[in-house]
Amino acid sequence: MRVFLSAVYLFLYAPIALVVVFSFNAGRSATQMTGFSLQWYGKALSNVFLTDALKTSLIVAFTSAALAAVFGTMAAMGMERLGPRLRAVFDGMLAAAIVVPGVVIGIATLVALAGLFGVINPVLAELSSTAPQFQMGYLSLIAAHGLFSMALVAMIVKARIASLSRDIVEASYDLYAPPFATFFQIVLPQLRPSILAGFLMSFTFSFDDFIIAFFVAGAKTTLPMYVFASIRRGVTPEINAIATMVLVASLILIALAWLLMRERKPHAA
Amino acid sequence: MTKDFKDTPITPDRFMTEFMRWKRGSITRRHFMGVTGLGLATAVLSRFPGAGVNPAFAEDLGTQMAIATWPNYHDPATFENFTAATGVAVEVNVFGSNEEMLAKLQAGGAGWSLFVPTNYTISTYAGLKLIDALDLSKIPNFSPSTQNPRFTSEGMVDGTTYALPKNWGTTGFAVNTAELKAPLTSWKDFFAVAMNEADGRAMVHDYQLTTIGSALVSLGLDFNSTKPEDLAQAEKLLLEVKPHLFAINSDYQPSMRSTDAWMTMCWTNDGAQLNRDMPEIAYILGTDGGEIWTDYYAIPSSAPNKAAGYALLNFLMDPAVAVKEHIANGAPATDSRVIALLPPEITSNKIVYPDEASLTPLEFGAAATLTDPGRAELMARFKSA
Amino acid sequence: MALSAAARKRWVTAALLAPAGLWLFFFLALPFLAILVFSLGERAPAGGYQPALTLANYLNLPARGAAFLNTALLAPVGAALCLAIAYPAAWFLALRVDPRHRLLLVALMIVPFWTSMLVRTYAWMYLLGARGIPQLLEMIGIENIRLINTPGAVLLGIVYGYLPLMVMPIYVSLEKLDRRLLEASSDLGARPMSTFLTVTLPLSMPGVMTGVALVSILLLGEYLIPQMLGGGKVYFIGNALVDLFLQSRNWPFGSAIAVTLVLGVVGVLLITMRIAWKVSGTRQMDLV
Repeated sequence: MRVFLSAVYLFLYAPIALVVVFSFNAGRSATQMTGFSLQWYGKALSNVFLTDALKTSLIVAFTSAALAAVFGTMAAMGMERLGPRLRAVFDGMLAAAIVVPGVVIGIATLVALAGLFGVINPVLAELSSTAPQFQMGYLSLIAAHGLFSMALVAMIVKARIASLSRDIVEASYDLYAPPFATFFQIVLPQLRPSILAGFLMSFTFSFDDFIIAFFVAGAKTTLPMYVFASIRRGVTPEINAIATMVLVASLILIALAWLLMRERKPHAA
Repeated sequence: MTKDFKDTPITPDRFMTEFMRWKRGSITRRHFMGVTGLGLATAVLSRFPGAGVNPAFAEDLGTQMAIATWPNYHDPATFENFTAATGVAVEVNVFGSNEEMLAKLQAGGAGWSLFVPTNYTISTYAGLKLIDALDLSKIPNFSPSTQNPRFTSEGMVDGTTYALPKNWGTTGFAVNTAELKAPLTSWKDFFAVAMNEADGRAMVHDYQLTTIGSALVSLGLDFNSTKPEDLAQAEKLLLEVKPHLFAINSDYQPSMRSTDAWMTMCWTNDGAQLNRDMPEIAYILGTDGGEIWTDYYAIPSSAPNKAAGYALLNFLMDPAVAVKEHIANGAPATDSRVIALLPPEITSNKIVYPDEASLTPLEFGAAATLTDPGRAELMARFKSA
Repeated sequence: MALSAAARKRWVTAALLAPAGLWLFFFLALPFLAILVFSLGERAPAGGYQPALTLANYLNLPARGAAFLNTALLAPVGAALCLAIAYPAAWFLALRVDPRHRLLLVALMIVPFWTSMLVRTYAWMYLLGARGIPQLLEMIGIENIRLINTPGAVLLGIVYGYLPLMVMPIYVSLEKLDRRLLEASSDLGARPMSTFLTVTLPLSMPGVMTGVALVSILLLGEYLIPQMLGGGKVYFIGNALVDLFLQSRNWPFGSAIAVTLVLGVVGVLLITMRIAWKVSGTRQMDLV
């Protein structure tokens, strides 16, 4: 059994380790090690297209995760106060946002926005020749990524609220604390770990998403889109260097999320 | 470059005469470069002393724009130099097929201010009003008289210029001769070998025009056919060959370089790049036919920054810039001013500038193939089978 | 302003739910409505959509029968293979591993799922290519083995990509299993195998079904793994959808396939949940 488990870990990590090892290759080949070098990291980081894609991904991931954290938390709290029927509607919509395949989310967003812009843009152009025209880009990326992320945050926070002791909140009300004070002093500190964990998971999701962005990115290129295009086009260790950096970045985020999730154990006791 | 140049400019006509004489082999390359070479370069550079003072840049260009183009098709320095000259940062989007570009533009809001469609798509784009008629006064670097009309006519639709040529090229196939000894000369050979000696080692494009077109050609049919009975024959061949293929993918360079694949449908520029790095990879034009193409620059009517689109287009039409693009991508030029600036190892490269005789059987793609549902569905059935 | 307490409460609730509600409406409900409408339309002559009211696109679904079949075949096989590896691993982690190391080992199991799927699949492109495992095999005399761009490679990529997602829910359900039940069972003379079959397995069914549901649902919409490890020869519904929207520009047909895919997802979800409820007798779900 121990052997089996070790084999599973080997299976999970050996391919990743190989990608990392070859990112330090001195030669051009991504498959034959000819010496140690950091040159591909330098090349990757000085590649404007790559750094642009990284910037786009960071902006989209941060904004969508931040909005998802705020709106998702608000929704989780609001749903507590709903009647069973409306609550079921919200539950269903949130579940749908999580289980509908990314490829369908991407397509549906593209179709809907293309239709919408097709109506709005000619009107805008009619009004004034200098009026801005709507286009796919940051907003469509943030909207489509935020959908899944918001549902994720709402689910996590809802689970946390369910485990929260209502007595504390009610005691606070009984002591005539104003609702906002109750929220900021009593409820929010208890929810904070879940919200932050949700934020980080959302960030990771958005940062890693390829298929939704593929449809709705418009003229923008996100990092996964860039990596996908590079993999298709040619294999130099530069891709391994990019891959390794992406890996390290997501590892740091996961470690943070994990530490935060763990923090709630003592509270829950 | 050589030192023995004359300082007087050469006329475009004279240049073409000299070029054709040289191509026919009646003069030496040395003579050719002597009468045309740097003399022309000097003339060009004195007329266009620098991008910064170009009339096209008089307008406000904004700070950024996006271009849609093909993989491995530009010298990255081109865009850096443009940014340095104008302050406009260029975002580069790359695509795998013309259908993909059209799909993005049709979906609206692609956000490009310049893109690189292939000859046979221009009339469709113009018909759908997806691209603008070009205002040539904003592109003074473009010189119609030095363009080879064979490769540039499809930029005009009903007498209006919608697109300017970038590079031309061919679609043949690349063969790793170290692995495959069988002599290959035609598309008929290509498909036969793909099912035998190259079992599991051959690649075809994920692109209806060339994959279906080449299959048609190998059967002795028209490259551009949309006739159901022709397509049915092509489908039969493609389905027969599919289990033997290594992959259906337009990005064949990695697999050819790793020797996972031994043979692939291939564009001139990729053929030149592969052969440059791995001399055992040969580039072959089908004696039974195949595609000849020109890629164009066009400005989408939805372009968010047309001023910058024109400025970049004008910049790219500068022979001094275009020649660097040519050297980087390995696809032949349509502009004789550019050819004149090329180093001899490129103009003498038979992959880049093949003999006229081997070009004769080739055909340009036809507009109908782009929107034909029959070809699109055939491709889907081929891939999903 | 004299709002009654009840009215104020309603306003606060509405304000809390408004952003999420609007988001869900504009970017989930409306887009889904849009593809529903598009799926009843026609392909415009140059591609795209033109209004019509026809079921032709749904009747044409068999034209992508191969893609549906591939997905319907490889997704469950992939999920089953995942399960075959994940269950023993989760069982070992939950019941046999030294508790001091358990947390770390569990974390190591989930970490890959949250790292880039693209990068992990790329790792296999690389391992299965001519210069990877086939080259090693050549050294020991097994020549001309081709691994990449085969259904087997896609299956491997699927197991590799989704294993962590299968392990987690099973681990969670096994971990909270009341150990006294297991002890009682063996004290009463049950053999380990029969303890497993009568106690452990049924109690871990909610986790198993959650894992199977999650993995199957994600696989139904998979695009990257078949694209990268199948070389364009192994075609899933996800690939058919990408081609229909980004190559042949048949939006109405693509929309019809998307609608069908969503129905498929709902179907899988309902079936697996039904089974889980029946087997475990509860309606609880073990999420990651």
